[in-house]
Amino acid sequence: MEGKVKTRRSLLNWLLTGSLGTLILATIYPIIRFIYPPDKPEAVRNTIVAAKVGELEKNSGKIFKFGTKPGILVYTSGGDYRAFSAVCTHLQCTVQYEPTRGDIWCACHNGRFDLTGRNISGPPPSPLEAYDVAIRGEEIIVSRRTG
Amino acid sequence: MTFWMARQYRSVRYILILVSIVVLVPVNRLSADSCMKCHQEIEGAPDSPTKLIVSDIHYRNAISCADCHGGDPTVGYEEGDPSLAMDPEKGYIGVPSYNEIPKFCSRCHSDVEYMRERRPKLRIDQHQLYLTSVHGKRLKEGDKRVAQCVSCHGAHGILSSNDVRSSTYVENIPGTCANCHANEDYMARYGIPTDQYDEYSRSVHGRLLFEKHEKSAPTCNSCHGNHGAAPLGLASIAAACGQCHGINQALFDKSPHFEPWKELGIPECIRCHNHHLVLTPTDNQVGVGENSFCIECHSRGDNGYEAAAEMSSAIDSLKMLIDEADSIIRRIEMSGVDIETARYNLTEATDRLIEARNKIHSFNSRTVRDITKNGISKARHVIQSAEEAGEDMETKQKGLLFTSILIIILAGLLFLKIRQIEGRVNK
Repeated sequence: MEGKVKTRRSLLNWLLTGSLGTLILATIYPIIRFIYPPDKPEAVRNTIVAAKVGELEKNSGKIFKFGTKPGILVYTSGGDYRAFSAVCTHLQCTVQYEPTRGDIWCACHNGRFDLTGRNISGPPPSPLEAYDVAIRGEEIIVSRRTG
Repeated sequence: MTFWMARQYRSVRYILILVSIVVLVPVNRLSADSCMKCHQEIEGAPDSPTKLIVSDIHYRNAISCADCHGGDPTVGYEEGDPSLAMDPEKGYIGVPSYNEIPKFCSRCHSDVEYMRERRPKLRIDQHQLYLTSVHGKRLKEGDKRVAQCVSCHGAHGILSSNDVRSSTYVENIPGTCANCHANEDYMARYGIPTDQYDEYSRSVHGRLLFEKHEKSAPTCNSCHGNHGAAPLGLASIAAACGQCHGINQALFDKSPHFEPWKELGIPECIRCHNHHLVLTPTDNQVGVGENSFCIECHSRGDNGYEAAAEMSSAIDSLKMLIDEADSIIRRIEMSGVDIETARYNLTEATDRLIEARNKIHSFNSRTVRDITKNGISKARHVIQSAEEAGEDMETKQKGLLFTSILIIILAGLLFLKIRQIEGRVNK
């Protein structure tokens, strides 16, 4: 009978000690990771509120911060929103919308892109990365295309 | 079968019959003509005309042998007398001589009405341009080694330039030109270099085309023209480069170099950037260092030398600061701090660096310096905000470390105290 009690008590002790150890580890581990963080950067942002509805006039554009890179949101004369990476595919300058010609222009080397992002003149060798645009309530949401 | 299914079935059948008429009738017409019948019997080599022709764009569009070579394809085979088909009185021309080929092709390709009906998008000035090319001029002088239509396009296996197998598909153009222009033996008598293909392949343009498969990358014909191919004269070099690099051309045209270089006959862009071997420019190509192009003409004490030194120093200062900011941001990013804004703001400084490099083509050191000053101020601001974010994070980390150690010590002391109390109770 006494042996049985002893076995039960040692099991309880073992469980309590184990739980305490786990609790200590669960507390200490995040503290250590905060003080000595992992050697990798933050994840890439995939969605952002680029502007509010009504903020842009037709035939105008806006540069917005998309993670660490600039993006460009264009409100076309036809009333469509288009969004692209604002990083020129030539030498990575920031592009801008040019209302007089209705295209996207890179001032650095006079590169031009149409409103589908396609490179149409100047030195840029490839199109701008196109983003998806969605309107949710009063916000214009821009997202990277996946896949 | 329901009425709806029967109707669908009939529709599909009509479509299939229509497709068969469009696709098979021209092919049957050609394979049934006497030229094809006879030549298929006498030709065996895989590169013989009757083998090649089946993929030819003309053949695919129902243009028969007789449409180019003349004659009457409806007779000759059954009668066992090829001369009936190859009758000069029926317009038989046969194989055109080497120097007659451009004219031979241009009968259709320069015919406005004919081309409008078949390929309205195609240009019709190829022959006209060819006559102005070095190839065309030499051919006229009797040189039968220069390129004419079939040298680049082939004779019986001509493919659309949109077909990746075509010798005139954008990625294949340099190789097509290199067939002759990289052949030392073939080019020996013309006394021109044969390293253009090799140099182009290593250039930024060639690597864009061959490695990144960028179809808009310039190839041989982007600068030299295709049917009107000719070396670029001194006056046309900047115009050729300016087709894509217009801002640089405009800056150069207003620069103090423009007039003197023109007078001295110095080729504009290629003086520093080379022609076929256009490499990514480096910052040490400007300034007064040993790799600088500027000191090849300018020497200490002259205005150009001073301007080169100033431009180089301005660009180096901005570049160093951007590198410093980038390294700080990278370090702080690794420590888990959200430093997106600093990274984003750094793009403004990088933009100024690119702009300053571009403005070198104005050779105006003040312009370059003003732009770099602006960039330096942005980079400094980024460094300051990044360092502040880093310090803030460091303070938090140190604080947490200190608190954690304190908690552990307190927990240890508490444990000892409990044991002491327990010991007293047991006694």
